[in-house]
Amino acid sequence: MFIIIAGAGRLGVLLAKKLREDNHRVAIIDKSEVVCHKLAEELKSVLIIQGDAASPKILREAKVEKADVLVSTTPSDADNIIICNIAKDVFSIKRTVSRVNDPQHLLLYKHMDVDVPIDSTSILARIVEEEASFSDVMNLLSIKKGRLSIVRVDIPQGSPVVNKTLREVSLPANSVLISIIRGPEIIVPSGVTKIMAGDEIIAATLIDNEKHLIRSLIGKI
Amino acid sequence: MPMKYIIIVGCGKTGKELAVEFSKEHNVIVIDKFRSALESLGDDFNGKKVLGDALNIKTLENAGIKEANILILSTGNDNVNIVISKVAKKLYSNIEKIALQVYDTDKKKIFSQEGLIIVNKTYILVEVFKKCLL
Repeated sequence: MFIIIAGAGRLGVLLAKKLREDNHRVAIIDKSEVVCHKLAEELKSVLIIQGDAASPKILREAKVEKADVLVSTTPSDADNIIICNIAKDVFSIKRTVSRVNDPQHLLLYKHMDVDVPIDSTSILARIVEEEASFSDVMNLLSIKKGRLSIVRVDIPQGSPVVNKTLREVSLPANSVLISIIRGPEIIVPSGVTKIMAGDEIIAATLIDNEKHLIRSLIGKI
Repeated sequence: MPMKYIIIVGCGKTGKELAVEFSKEHNVIVIDKFRSALESLGDDFNGKKVLGDALNIKTLENAGIKEANILILSTGNDNVNIVISKVAKKLYSNIEKIALQVYDTDKKKIFSQEGLIIVNKTYILVEVFKKCLL
């Protein structure tokens, strides 16, 4: 694939290196002359263009019309959105991916049709929250506009489902156990899989049944 | 012209002049992310000030964008002006007119859209020069 990266900050440069390792063609655009010079020594096989990626002239110089994907990683959300928009509207790029700097700007990315806005701050916050929390339950992901959620439930010693097979456990409607994480193992559960204390269960459930699901797995909420 | 509810985003030179002028006869709200910019409006300005980031939709809604008749984008940053104007156009059908300042003539062409009044300094200057000289 041919991938264009706008913005040669830490994320942009790391991404360029990774993509090169996987043998993709990469071009990277940055406003700063200093950054571009440094980069030219560091990344020999990457096309480096100095200029404002939000300008059609610079994008044309990077041969954006031949790219499969454009990734925007600049520290300005307005710039990222405009770069993705120009790539799409002027150069017919099919897929635009962008970093979202301020989570409060995420809505703008959605309204301005950036294909994949990645809100790294929120993703990080969720991981930190998970790592720091002592709770048995963690909401991992909400999809289908929040109607469906994927949760992680740690099975405590006193849970009513400990040592029971899945067949013996009654789950609410529209809830599915996706996998059981037991130490280093990931188990795809079947009816005869036995749940043990200390298991981490990943389950998908309709949001209305979430509390019911958690209650049946840990016995309280 | 009947009294209008006007929101001005960006209190630089242009925004400030417009705010003072329009606030004589209209209901004006000025948004800027810098307190000093809002303070520079002085006593001639007879309207409301909102301190905040206009790229955050909450700030726009706090400024009453759902009731506004006119939205003016004069932040001095083309990309910010374009993004806010396009999103406002999409979300708030109550706004009758949206005007934005765009310095880059290429961007003026790319982002032209029905219902957005794009003001480009270079373009205006060229027109004025032509009128004066030819």
